[in-house]
Amino acid sequence: MRSKHRGTHAVLALSALLMVVPFGWQLLTSVKTLSSATRVPPTVLPEWQWSNYAKVFEQLPFGQQFLNTVLMAAGRTVGQVLFCSMAAYAFARLRFPGRNLLFGVFLAVLMVPPPLFVIPQYEIMADLGWLNTLPALIVPGLFSAFGVFLLRQFFLAMPKELDEAARLDGASPWRIYWSVMLPLARPGLLALAVLAVLWSWNDLFWPLVVNTDPERMTLSAGLAALQGQFQTDYPVLMAGSVLASLPVMVVFVVMQRRVIEGIALSGNKG
Amino acid sequence: MTVTESGTTRANPAVVPAPGPRKRRSWRSGTGEALWGYLLIAPTGLGLAVFYLWPVLQTAYFSFTEWGPFGGHEWIGLENYETLAGDEDVLRALGNTVLYTLVGLLGIPVAVVLAALLNRRGLRGVAVYRALFFLPVVTMPVAVAMVWRWMYNGDYGLLNQALSAVGVEGPHWIADPATALYALALVGIWSSIGYNLVIFLAGMQAIPRELYEAAEIDGAGAVAQFRTVTLPMLSPSIFFVSVVSVIGSLQLFDLVYVIGGSGQTARGNPAYPRIQTVVALFYEKAFVTNDRGYAAAIVMALLLLIVALTAVQFRLQKKWVHYA
Amino acid sequence: MTSRMRHGLAAMVSLVLAVALAGCGDDDEAADGPATLSYAVWDVNQVPVMEELAAAFTKDHPDITVKVQMTPWADYWTKLRAAVSGGEAPDVFWMNGPNFQLYADNKVIAPLDERIKDAKLDLGVYPKALVDLYTFEGKVYGLPKDFDTVGVWYNKELFTAAGVPFPKDGWTWADFKSAAAKLTDPAKGVYGIGAGVGSAQEYYYNTIYQAGGQVISPDGKKSGFDQPASIEGLRFWTDLIKAKQSPDIKTMTDTQPIQLFEAGKLAMYWGGSWNVTEFGKNDYTKTRVDAGPLPMGVKKASIIHGVANVVSAKTKYKNQSWEFVKFLGSQPAAEILGKKGPIPAYNGTQAAWKQANAAFNGQVFLDAVSYAVPYPVSRNTAAWNEAETKHLTRAYNGEVDIETAAKALAAEMNDLLAKE
Repeated sequence: MRSKHRGTHAVLALSALLMVVPFGWQLLTSVKTLSSATRVPPTVLPEWQWSNYAKVFEQLPFGQQFLNTVLMAAGRTVGQVLFCSMAAYAFARLRFPGRNLLFGVFLAVLMVPPPLFVIPQYEIMADLGWLNTLPALIVPGLFSAFGVFLLRQFFLAMPKELDEAARLDGASPWRIYWSVMLPLARPGLLALAVLAVLWSWNDLFWPLVVNTDPERMTLSAGLAALQGQFQTDYPVLMAGSVLASLPVMVVFVVMQRRVIEGIALSGNKG
Repeated sequence: MTVTESGTTRANPAVVPAPGPRKRRSWRSGTGEALWGYLLIAPTGLGLAVFYLWPVLQTAYFSFTEWGPFGGHEWIGLENYETLAGDEDVLRALGNTVLYTLVGLLGIPVAVVLAALLNRRGLRGVAVYRALFFLPVVTMPVAVAMVWRWMYNGDYGLLNQALSAVGVEGPHWIADPATALYALALVGIWSSIGYNLVIFLAGMQAIPRELYEAAEIDGAGAVAQFRTVTLPMLSPSIFFVSVVSVIGSLQLFDLVYVIGGSGQTARGNPAYPRIQTVVALFYEKAFVTNDRGYAAAIVMALLLLIVALTAVQFRLQKKWVHYA
Repeated sequence: MTSRMRHGLAAMVSLVLAVALAGCGDDDEAADGPATLSYAVWDVNQVPVMEELAAAFTKDHPDITVKVQMTPWADYWTKLRAAVSGGEAPDVFWMNGPNFQLYADNKVIAPLDERIKDAKLDLGVYPKALVDLYTFEGKVYGLPKDFDTVGVWYNKELFTAAGVPFPKDGWTWADFKSAAAKLTDPAKGVYGIGAGVGSAQEYYYNTIYQAGGQVISPDGKKSGFDQPASIEGLRFWTDLIKAKQSPDIKTMTDTQPIQLFEAGKLAMYWGGSWNVTEFGKNDYTKTRVDAGPLPMGVKKASIIHGVANVVSAKTKYKNQSWEFVKFLGSQPAAEILGKKGPIPAYNGTQAAWKQANAAFNGQVFLDAVSYAVPYPVSRNTAAWNEAETKHLTRAYNGEVDIETAAKALAAEMNDLLAKE
């Protein structure tokens, strides 16, 4: 049994190493001096140059940007899970004139690449006076055609008897949605939530465009700005990228199984 | 579609006293159900209309306008599209984007093989491997790009330092026009392998064991089983991943923005013309030089490209995707 | 309708408009009352002194606070344009030469003549080149804040080790080239100089004028890149790359010249007076480097440029913003600036700057003023700056020879200038 998997382990371990080495190098570089990072041949052990991290904090209002990013991710996620599940339930379980047409329109939105929305969305934000505010980061992200599509698949897969029974007891559609369907759709909601958090946290284009005041930026835009300042001072850039990506990595390590199940679910339902 | 039976609209059916148990409920048959339907889709529906549908129409309109350096625009008809057709930068960006997308597809077979290895019976440590492969997926793309920009550094990067240890002199991966695009595509593959692998693994785990047992009885070895059972049964997942991958690759921005060097640092990178993608060009036109009308025309071209490539994929799927 | 009536009507209409505009724009409260001004800057090293100046201003004007808003240089103009077109422009912001005419021409920034006259300010206290830089169609739009010139930063350790004398006044291109050759040590990965192409101000603009060429004709209508002398100024750099006394462009893309210099890989770095802050803070450079004058070609030349403070034309707080800009342009402000920031523009306050940066030979940058050449600009400078990068990068990378590239650049630049 053991020997049978030796080759497999060798291939997998080597590939996994390729996944991890860049992160290890990132961590090591983040505490090196520039002269030692650019030594040929390289030295592995750093000088523990913590001032690289200090430089990041000096340049970026890191705490504020962290908070902005958390609020953006939380706002978008809560909104998407709520609104998408409502619409998905309606599309999957209720009958009303124009249902298929409307669903088709939703699907059409899913097909359009985001850059097509950006200029007018930006103009809308400018008209509302929302540039450089938290709502600009959150509001357009509250609505997701993808989320509706994903959750609809979950509601469709549930046995018909469930809502029939509830309806016979006199429950309203809202009651059925809220007390019967939502609890059963938890894996789906979780999958959507995982994706929404991940996408919001890592989003660059939109935050880069709408919020230009460093105090209002998200971490990804802030990190890009760090490169604008430090150009190719790699130790500082590595320190910044460690700080910006660490929170999601920690969440991932803690919730690893759920995240991966969520992703797997979305891929095979979608 | 049910039409009104009772003729009354009950906005709040929950408070209606329940009549006899076997009668159809009022909202099921009435306009009440339709009303609830519209009510429930209203938030997302209105949101999509305001922030997505209307903007698409506006972008289409903007593509026929010219913008001043600080806003304000006027109708210029087809001029943007005429310029576009002869614009070297746009054509090159389109070419780069398509090439990047094609190279990116090479990550799929790699992910399939790795998933198949992870799916072997009795293998230990699957969760650990899976988590490690997934790490780049949860890492912020800007950070990923920075890390790789450093890894790829021609003089001091880890990659070339390792190569020189075995006597090979590596190129300046992202500053050399010959290698930059491929180096970028490799980062794309690296950072999406975990996502693809997780989906493939789930797909493989859903394949009934009996199929393998039957193949085994027919005397098929591991490789033959992979070819005759796993691949066909997995083809819907492979199709899904390739569609997602193509649409994603065609919109590549983050990697180019960071690795190519944002703003000032992009100036003077001799490889920049070789890695500039359509969306990166769009960003520059729309938000750096404020040439928004032209930028709108560029994304309209991108839309066409995406529709065309996705249509090709759906056309081809009939030839190789097996739905159980 | 008689012409008098028409005039009368027009006058009435404009009167009504003016009243209406005044009504919605600056009501009395906004005109002089409490305000929070945003002040956009691009240099992280100057944020502390900008905040100090803001605090000093608030002390005299207790109801006006100033929020310093820092955007890195690489993104500053992109973001500023986006902010302006989104109606979110900062009230007061830093302006530079290449962008100034575009902003003035599009009425993004407010002319200051009236206010300068009312306040009886004397513009003679600033170097004339800087006042001219911020004058558009006869109107002044900004008060000069600081100025900078270019010099050679050099690594004393590497010079001493190679037995090369430090750069000194009167040294020539030939001296420079022989120094670069002696300082280059391939075994150690050390080069004499980094021939950067991304930023013209520190590099080829200087050599073009040193060679007797020009970037743009004095009337701003014609490119100078195709003049033989200008091409010599460019060849200065491509020759250094060819001789491998400078890293190639690919290396300098992966690691920018300033980082190579800070890692001890370059013996010399052409940089500005603004680098004193960075090099004074950096652990490696603070004890190892110093500044010398640029070498002379046919003549001496060093590019002078300065930042000005300008007021957004759309600010809600016109009076308060002007008060702040006036303060920033004053002698007390210049003295604060000189101690902690770049060379102040206000004549007579430069000694404070030199003293505050005594670790380096700051006099080099002050001396350069006597032979300095103003930073070349036109109405849409950014357009041809982009063409410069495009054509010259290919030549520096060895894809085409420098003369061909320079001529192609001149042709494209002339087209662009014709469109202005």
